[in-house]
Amino acid sequence: MTAIQTRRRSSGPASSANRIWDAGPLTKVTLAFALVLSAFPIYYMFIMATRTNDEALDTPPPLLPGGHLGENVERLLATEDAYFATGLINSIIISTTVTLSVVIISTLAGFAFAKLRFRGSKILLGSILLTMMVPLQQMGIVPLYEMMVNLGWTGQIQAVILPFLVNGFGVFMMTQYTTQAVPDELVEAARVDGASTMRIYANVILPAVRPGMAVLALLTFMQNWNEFLWPSIVLNPDNPVVQTSIAALNQAHGTDYVMLFTGTAASVLPLVIVFVMFGRQIVGGLMEGAVKA
Amino acid sequence: MTLNVDTPAPARREGPRRSSGPRNPGRGGRGLARFDLRATPYFLVSPYFLLFAVFGLFPLGYTAWVSLHDWELAGDKTFTGLDNYTELIADGAFWNAVLNTVGIFVIATIPQLVLALMLANALNKRIRGRLFFRLGILLPLVTSVVAVAVVFTQLYGRDYGMINWFLSLFGVEAIEWQNQSWSAWIAIATMIDWRWTGYNAIILLAAMQTIPKDLYEAASLDGASARRQFWQITVPMLRPTLIFVVFVSTIGGLTLFAEPVMFEGNPTMAGGATGQYQTVAMFIVKEAFRDFDMGYASAAAWLLFALILIGILINYSFTRRIGGKK
Amino acid sequence: MLNTKRQGKLAAVAVMAATALAITSCGSSEPTPAAGGDGASSAAAAPVTITVHTFGGGENFGYDEAVKKWNAEHPNIQVKYQNLTDRFEDVFLPQLLQKLQAGSGAADIVGIDEGAMGLMKARPQFFADLGQFGLENRKADFPAAKWENGVNKDGKLFALGTDIGGMTMCYRKDLFEKAGLPTEREEVGKLWPDWAAFMEAGKKFQAANPGKGDPKFLDGPNTLYNVVLSQEGPKNGNIAYFDTNNQLVIDKNPAVKTAFDTVKSFSEAGLTAKLASFTPEWNAAIKKGGFATMGCPAWMLGVVSGAAGDENKGKWDVASVPGGAGNWGGSYLAIPAQSKHQKEAAEVLNYLTGKEGHIAAFKEAAAFPSSLPAQQDPAVADLKNEFFNDAPTGQIFGASVKDLLPLFLGEKHAQVKTAAEKVLEGMDKGSIPYAEAWTKFVEAGTKAAG
Repeated sequence: MTAIQTRRRSSGPASSANRIWDAGPLTKVTLAFALVLSAFPIYYMFIMATRTNDEALDTPPPLLPGGHLGENVERLLATEDAYFATGLINSIIISTTVTLSVVIISTLAGFAFAKLRFRGSKILLGSILLTMMVPLQQMGIVPLYEMMVNLGWTGQIQAVILPFLVNGFGVFMMTQYTTQAVPDELVEAARVDGASTMRIYANVILPAVRPGMAVLALLTFMQNWNEFLWPSIVLNPDNPVVQTSIAALNQAHGTDYVMLFTGTAASVLPLVIVFVMFGRQIVGGLMEGAVKA
Repeated sequence: MTLNVDTPAPARREGPRRSSGPRNPGRGGRGLARFDLRATPYFLVSPYFLLFAVFGLFPLGYTAWVSLHDWELAGDKTFTGLDNYTELIADGAFWNAVLNTVGIFVIATIPQLVLALMLANALNKRIRGRLFFRLGILLPLVTSVVAVAVVFTQLYGRDYGMINWFLSLFGVEAIEWQNQSWSAWIAIATMIDWRWTGYNAIILLAAMQTIPKDLYEAASLDGASARRQFWQITVPMLRPTLIFVVFVSTIGGLTLFAEPVMFEGNPTMAGGATGQYQTVAMFIVKEAFRDFDMGYASAAAWLLFALILIGILINYSFTRRIGGKK
Repeated sequence: MLNTKRQGKLAAVAVMAATALAITSCGSSEPTPAAGGDGASSAAAAPVTITVHTFGGGENFGYDEAVKKWNAEHPNIQVKYQNLTDRFEDVFLPQLLQKLQAGSGAADIVGIDEGAMGLMKARPQFFADLGQFGLENRKADFPAAKWENGVNKDGKLFALGTDIGGMTMCYRKDLFEKAGLPTEREEVGKLWPDWAAFMEAGKKFQAANPGKGDPKFLDGPNTLYNVVLSQEGPKNGNIAYFDTNNQLVIDKNPAVKTAFDTVKSFSEAGLTAKLASFTPEWNAAIKKGGFATMGCPAWMLGVVSGAAGDENKGKWDVASVPGGAGNWGGSYLAIPAQSKHQKEAAEVLNYLTGKEGHIAAFKEAAAFPSSLPAQQDPAVADLKNEFFNDAPTGQIFGASVKDLLPLFLGEKHAQVKTAAEKVLEGMDKGSIPYAEAWTKFVEAGTKAAG
């Protein structure tokens, strides 16, 4: 199977013998349609952010940008009680911290599970797989809340950081990735040269699993950027994360549609920009990660 | 970096796929090296297990303990045995939430998988601007859950929403999407699908590209149609990836929370006047943080866990059967 | 800290608990890192920030101007006023209770609707005793019933009144004109002396608006229901869902049944826009003219003007309500016991519930003052509401609250209200058949009462 694969890779995405690899008109229409559907809600979000509240309720709804973006942004930032800027900053801090932690811890554990032999490793890895099925958000809600109350951490962002510092999916993914990305021979060769385990980790493993780490980082960052349930319970309205801040806007200023949409657009803008800038790498990494993991 | 290891392509893998470590560990005789070999692995995995013990295992056990009590946040805690569970099993509201959760999951996941397969198949063809298309369908993933819900809730608005306006062009009366289960389920399912279909398509596409083309060529020579090739070759070969995708969707789907909460507009956790779209996660939060019945909420959380296990088992056995005749 | 008895038990139950508890104990002995929080826990150095959390749609408590003025005059006590949500019973109240129970996270001053005062009176541990800050001397400022509601079961003063509801009927002048109904507020009031006449007017309005996209006569079930309940309650022992012994009487109080039946009849006649109040769609319909009338306590005027926006100035007007006087709503301010700046908070509370604060709130959000000096002040009595076609709201509400007797609301009033009104919404929207609605209504209320 490996041999076949190699040949396919070398012979390009398709061999001319089989016409089914040519995109027919149906394929093109499907893809164009999917593209429009994918882009439309985001487009609509930005359109609404440039309109007035009256226009927002028109039927049919406006489909072209208006000229009110500036005033909507001003109003959003002037709406102190949504703490939108605080929410953005908190989310960046939380997502970055958690991402760093998950990536580092997962890479370490992934290395051990993939390339080292130790007693109980199978059981430990199996237990991680099991824990992936535990709905921690729901099952942890009561005890974690009591824990944060007792620590006096409710309303503070470490309450949102701590429970997410590890993630079974990350370990599982890095184990799979490391298994396939690093040939055992390299590890053995380094051993023979007298390298310690940590040196092997630093010199052999880390350089090889970087693409996997990038994918894991992206997924973890997004997951934490989107965290909603737990922050909405443990944080207070004056120190929100970006998602709860939008929810607060939606609640307290639900009639100001265009301001709400301006906030929503602002909350997705950073990720969309990163995505457009590194799109090629992200798609490449996701696909590679998917095959290896 | 002394050892120059470039990003390995799958072809570089020569050895057996499953290998749990070097064949010849610990040739060095010195104590330090032996200690390194023996102890370092545990040191490497320990951060995960320590943190998980505190923020994963402990809450699990504690939730089980709480679920055996009539437990108030700052008030009395009375041991009640399995009362919460027996009460839950007889609680229509809980089963309503289960039904909603499963209903939304089913009508979200099945079309999503089919669409993702179709999209992956389309993206696997020779077409100009491949990267552009891939980026395009992946774009929804990088938006945020709450943002998606805000936009879609607006689009689904009864009086001023774009979807009802569009339907009205065909003479359909304005639908209040929140009002019945079926419409609310559809609305919420579209939010989920919009965000995840592209991602799953990319994952499936990656797997599709590892399928040897020779298989297709042989089939073509035998005169199999493209459609037949898709169902007889592509889908069966994607099985492991499909299992993975379904596994992840099951967990995500059964713990659904943000979309229905935002769809309601106000975080009452009720999911509509008669709980038309209250999910189990909302039920748990409502019991714990709206009605302050922590014990009841904890019992519901454990039943949710059971539900997820059952869901995964069912999906696994179902997905395993895909292309089983191959 | 988790209490020790529980710790012992826990350790026996699960081994892993030990790890966690060890960590919890470590944590409590360390200073709490101050990541992010900019709330009341900041150092004692001046200036002190007092946070005020309220609820309500539109202009809600109407404290923007009052707070601005206070902050300008008190550089050492800066007030931060934040309206959290439109909804009291099912969002603001549980979130407040969560924070009161947790012992942190509540604002220095919190708004409480009358519907939850029974609950709060029974929980003296949650709130600061305002008597220690000398606020007992405000007793003469308030009607007896409003004052008594702010005294907890231990006899301590814990909350002071803000506004009082009263009752009128808001209507869309432009829609009335189009439907051929009178538009001047006196004539409109004469049009509907009672609910039967209101129904007739509604049918006339709807006949002129037969189309699918046309406006409806009424918004939905909630407002109408609360108006009728507030009128019928005083005729039936001055209670709503609970009798004065806190026993649930949802199925026995004729006032509840009358209110329910009234809503049902209007809904069945197709006169409602099927909108639940305090939802985005409801707000949008206020703005866009999706319905023509709505029961309006004083504070509701602020909700309407806030939701409709300045561009709709003059389209809404206010007339007398069918069926006579009643009181729906009206709120209180209290200081949670967890507040670190109770003394300063008490000064702010005294200001906001004083004559000046009440008058400012009335100007801004039409919240009619519960304090007697404010009511008698010409600034209130002579005030005309610009948004509502210069309606003399001071006069209108002053008259409507005169002989007002607030209902007794039991400890779980808010919970029962929420659950029961959900059934009304379901009935109006068609997800609960009319024939089953009353049974479901009683069931839901009973379940919520626990």
